[in-house]
Amino acid sequence: MGYFSWFFGLMGKRKTKVNILIVGLDNSGKTSIIERMKLQSGKVPKGGMPQEVTPTVGFSVDEFSKGSLSFTVFDMSGAGRYRNLWERHFREAAAVVFVVDSADKLRLCVAKDELDAMLESSELLGKPFLVFANKMDLPTALSPVDVAQGLSLDEIEAHPWQIVPSNALDGSGLQEGLDWLANFLNK
Amino acid sequence: MADGHAESSKKRDEESEEGLDFSPFWGIEKGAVLQEARCFNESQLDARRCQQVITKLLYLSNQGDSFTKVEATEVFFSVTKLFQSSDSNLRRMVYLIIKEICPSADEVIIVTSSLMKDMNSKIDLYRSNAIRVLCNITDAGLLGQIERYLKQAVVDKNATVSSAALVSGHHLLQVNSEIVKRWSSEVQEALSSKNPLVQYHALGLLHRIKQNDRLAVSKLVTQLSRSPLRSSLAQCLVIRYVAQVIKDTKVDEVTGERPFFDFLESCLRHKSETVIFEAARVIIELNEVTTRELQPAVTVLQLFLSSSKPILRFAAIRALNKVAMNNPSSMTNCNIDMESMISDQNRSIATLAITTLLKTGKESSIDRLMKQISTFMTDIQDEFKVVVVEAIQELCLKFPHKHRILMNFLSNVLREEGGFEYKKTIVDCILCLVKSIPDATEAGLTHLSEFIEDCEFTYLSSQVLHLLGELGPSTADPGKYIRYIYNRVILENATIRASAVCALANFGSCSVALRARVLTLLQRCLYDNDDEVRDRAAFFLSVLRTIPETDSECVEDPLIYPLAPLEASLRQYLENTGDSAFDLAVINQIHNNIASHPDMHASAFDCSSMNISSTKNDLRESENIITSRGEFMSYGPIFKVSSYSSSVVNSCHAVDLTEAETEYKVTCTKHIFKEHIVFHFMCSNTIEDQILENVSVVTDPIEGIEVFAKVSTIPLGTMPLGQFGSTFVSYKRAQGLHPVAKMACTLKFTSKEIDPSSGEPESEGYEDEYTLEDIDVTVTDFLTGNPLSAFRKVWDTLPIENEKVGDYSLGTRDSLGEALEAVVGILGMAACEGSEVIAPHARSHTTLLSGFFVGGHSVLVQLNLGMGPSNSVAMKLIVRAEKPYIADMIHTLVSEA
Repeated sequence: MGYFSWFFGLMGKRKTKVNILIVGLDNSGKTSIIERMKLQSGKVPKGGMPQEVTPTVGFSVDEFSKGSLSFTVFDMSGAGRYRNLWERHFREAAAVVFVVDSADKLRLCVAKDELDAMLESSELLGKPFLVFANKMDLPTALSPVDVAQGLSLDEIEAHPWQIVPSNALDGSGLQEGLDWLANFLNK
Repeated sequence: MADGHAESSKKRDEESEEGLDFSPFWGIEKGAVLQEARCFNESQLDARRCQQVITKLLYLSNQGDSFTKVEATEVFFSVTKLFQSSDSNLRRMVYLIIKEICPSADEVIIVTSSLMKDMNSKIDLYRSNAIRVLCNITDAGLLGQIERYLKQAVVDKNATVSSAALVSGHHLLQVNSEIVKRWSSEVQEALSSKNPLVQYHALGLLHRIKQNDRLAVSKLVTQLSRSPLRSSLAQCLVIRYVAQVIKDTKVDEVTGERPFFDFLESCLRHKSETVIFEAARVIIELNEVTTRELQPAVTVLQLFLSSSKPILRFAAIRALNKVAMNNPSSMTNCNIDMESMISDQNRSIATLAITTLLKTGKESSIDRLMKQISTFMTDIQDEFKVVVVEAIQELCLKFPHKHRILMNFLSNVLREEGGFEYKKTIVDCILCLVKSIPDATEAGLTHLSEFIEDCEFTYLSSQVLHLLGELGPSTADPGKYIRYIYNRVILENATIRASAVCALANFGSCSVALRARVLTLLQRCLYDNDDEVRDRAAFFLSVLRTIPETDSECVEDPLIYPLAPLEASLRQYLENTGDSAFDLAVINQIHNNIASHPDMHASAFDCSSMNISSTKNDLRESENIITSRGEFMSYGPIFKVSSYSSSVVNSCHAVDLTEAETEYKVTCTKHIFKEHIVFHFMCSNTIEDQILENVSVVTDPIEGIEVFAKVSTIPLGTMPLGQFGSTFVSYKRAQGLHPVAKMACTLKFTSKEIDPSSGEPESEGYEDEYTLEDIDVTVTDFLTGNPLSAFRKVWDTLPIENEKVGDYSLGTRDSLGEALEAVVGILGMAACEGSEVIAPHARSHTTLLSGFFVGGHSVLVQLNLGMGPSNSVAMKLIVRAEKPYIADMIHTLVSEA
């Protein structure tokens, strides 16, 4: 009896379960980032990395681990009609990952509106925000600083936040962002 | 001590009884459960608790609790969060609840991605369930996206996944048939799966994909009938499809064999009982199945009858019951097996066995059968009893000679406990038998009058009392019914008392001997405390007193006034509120014998007099009119009534265009008496502003002048507007001559126009006449059917020297049945011993006909029909009759037709 409880306790200690919400406008690369993260955490999906990622309908749930943390990711669809779904997951989310398409200057203001709406939500109060300035490989991509400015990140006071340039296609920048998040959540 | 023990055991019994009804979800409330559903939103999920809550939600939904849109949406969004749990049991519940509750939420589409992920997961359980749910919630747009995966899933090596995809295909076929049709090669592959369930689903889907293409279905079936499938369910499907194909294709003209019949027969030897039964059932339900084809199926079913499994026995007896309807002869072998099943524990089986036996039963076995049934009747439900009683009614009509035993049986069951429906069926059955079997009248009436002594149903009592009033007076000893009827007056409620008064009055009016006594009884009814009863009693008293002492006349003669016009004219009278009293002469009086009195018994009259189209009613009515006319009393009883309708439009006479179109309706009914024939013309005037008076029909024999001699003509005073008035012509027939005639008829009348200004008819009318269609009198008119149960016996008693044989060719016919129908139609005789039923595809057949020629001479006919290669039908006609000239006449009749 004691042995088992010790064993399970060990298991439980080794992996703390964390729910994170990954949001952002459509076609910003959320699902790709998750697929890449899964790949990096050693969880190889059937048939390797999918060649083509279809737009998420509604949402999907994924899991991967990072260090002592086991992340349960709610990959929300970015399409306009599903955005009101995001708020339903605010309460149980421990952190929010906001993905921005750096090459999409036009819709940066839309992204800002969505972000602002989330920041105002009481259910997310004090929770960390990680912003991925994605698609850095594109020549027309804005710099992370420009993105931060566009989103007025420096005005955020109620939340800890971080912006990380990333490229989901080769995985660069993802680990840095995740490290920051893991550090923050482990505290 | 002992008491305490008993008490505790009783308590335990109660507890265990409660335990039977106990459900863990008993009495849960929707609101509380919805509250509990919040646990789905917790960040650390308790999988067990969530499962329980979902189960409660499903329970509520299955109990009929509906969720509002808001509630459903709320539940749905919380449920979507459960996708984060990897607990497989919880996941299954999630699938279920999404299917059950969530389609009412608009947002259900948002789980699509989650489900697609599950569909491609490694866990087969997730895959199969996700496929089912996804196909349930998907729309046409998304279907294109997931089609690839579904196609893969169809040929998946895991049976549950493959089945799930196939079943989803079934559902999708209704929504988006195009996409599913593209899967046919995959489905075909799944058909060869080793798993029986996959095979079954694949076959079903494949057939549905191809069902609009007859050729493809036929090919599929041909292919499958050669190589039997592993799954017995799939094999059953094949059999059904084969049946369909057989139905669509024609029987081989030359050999008379059906395609695929060999296959069906081979299925009868399959190792699975389901397949065997399916094959047998299909064979039984084949169109126009022959006895030879039926035989193997019946043999197999007979084996099932003695099976130890109730379901097999039930299936078999049910199938045989169907056979009994069409081919009773082919299952005589099973009778012994079925008789042992009457005592079967399963009441459904026992009832079916009895009804089947009653259908196949022979006259000789009835006694034994009835004995067995009566022991069985006590312990079955009312619904079953109703079925049995109906079967007995049919049997009794089939074997009229057995009416005594059957009637006894009915009266016994009538006395037992039973619900209204059951009693009503029995009473209806007896009424039917009383009316159709003259011999059974007395017995039936006695049983019924005993029944009303102790009958709790007002409706049935009134019905029986009415019947007693109608038939009772004409029986040998009408007096004995009076007691039964008067008991009702003393003991029953007002409705029944009123009916009883009517019935009593009928006895009083019809029977001179009883009249004085009835009057006394009616006198007593005057003190009844119900208005209706008193009214009726008073009315009948006054009517009965007006009838002369020696006259016997039925009060309830249905020919006083047609109800509808009476009502119409009364209405009109009320509207006008004229000062004068209501004039009965306004209603066209067609009956002049009886003292006019308004009618009180709506039940006794139907509005048939207005219904021109219903020939049967017309005939009966016409017959009633004839029998009520004193002029024809001397002719004796009517032998046969047949109608002849000539509805004519006067167009050639209406030369003057200012006159509105003239139309008289005339129908003729022929009444055949022993030596006379009476033509009853029913004429009606359809024009409002004219009066037709002194109407008569002048008949002029064109043919047969030597046979018929005119006796009398009875004209009609006025031709009523919109209803029928009667005029008669009677002829005397010379004995022994071939009674064929053709009569030219002319309608003669005096026409008086109504002056539109004054509304008065002109004083002077003018004579007019109008040519009607000719009336034919044929030999058929003098023949009536007389169904015999022992044809052979009567046949042998008729002198053989009067036998006439003739061969006829009936030309090309579609079937023997059609040919037979034609011949029987010409002769108008009744078929005996069920010989009118021809086995389908039979090439030859013998039918026995029996009838009476006017004057009570019996005529028997044997018809041998045979069908040649090119569907030409030949007939051998053997006639035996009491008088040789009658036999000759039959032959002339057939050869002339």
